Amino acid sequence: MFTIGKLASLTSVSNDTLRYYEQEGLVEPAGKSPAGYRLYDKDSARRIRFIKHAQNCGFTLAEIRDLLVLRGRDKACCGDVRTRAVEKKLQIESKIRAMKAMSKALDQLIADCANETQPVNECTIIAALERAKVKTPVH
Amino acid sequence: MKVEMFYTPGCPDCVAAHARLRTTAQEAVKNLVWRELNVLDELDYAVELGVLTLPSIAIDGKLVFTSMPTVAQLRTALIERSKGRE
Repeated sequence: MFTIGKLASLTSVSNDTLRYYEQEGLVEPAGKSPAGYRLYDKDSARRIRFIKHAQNCGFTLAEIRDLLVLRGRDKACCGDVRTRAVEKKLQIESKIRAMKAMSKALDQLIADCANETQPVNECTIIAALERAKVKTPVH
Repeated sequence: MKVEMFYTPGCPDCVAAHARLRTTAQEAVKNLVWRELNVLDELDYAVELGVLTLPSIAIDGKLVFTSMPTVAQLRTALIERSKGRE
């Protein structure tokens, strides 16, 4: 059993982050010291590493909570987790597509700016942004 | 009419549900084209249609269901769509 400081150094996560994970119900102390300090065990460290790795893969804390529930559920199978991973990939690919569209739009604006020494009130990029009609999302 | 179901393999319950939905769709609409697409094999197309959750169903290239519909929901959607085409 170890203190929050030791858990933080074992997992390379700050104390504040660990407290936040605890507030969010992602980690629970395994017990308390005689002085009343929260104590953690090896499973806590495993959970923290799991959370960090999942965050690196793009999962939100709410999604990670679901994954942790699945991890502990007897009836859950790998297919359930795989589906969530595939859905996350779809979300990321969708964001990449949106970002590429933004990048392409910027390419056009940059290309249209033939003379960067013009005064700002003649800037073609600003003029184009002012002219552009904002697309409202369709629900 | 074309119905495309995007799925990911590995879900035994889904296989049975797919079969029920396919049968329902084929009974509800004549000359129906039913496709089951492994989303990882058709990732670009899935993203283009806006698929973010699985399973998802597109009818004639438009995303209609973002989770597994009931048989009745699919039948209603197909009948409404086929009326719109008449």
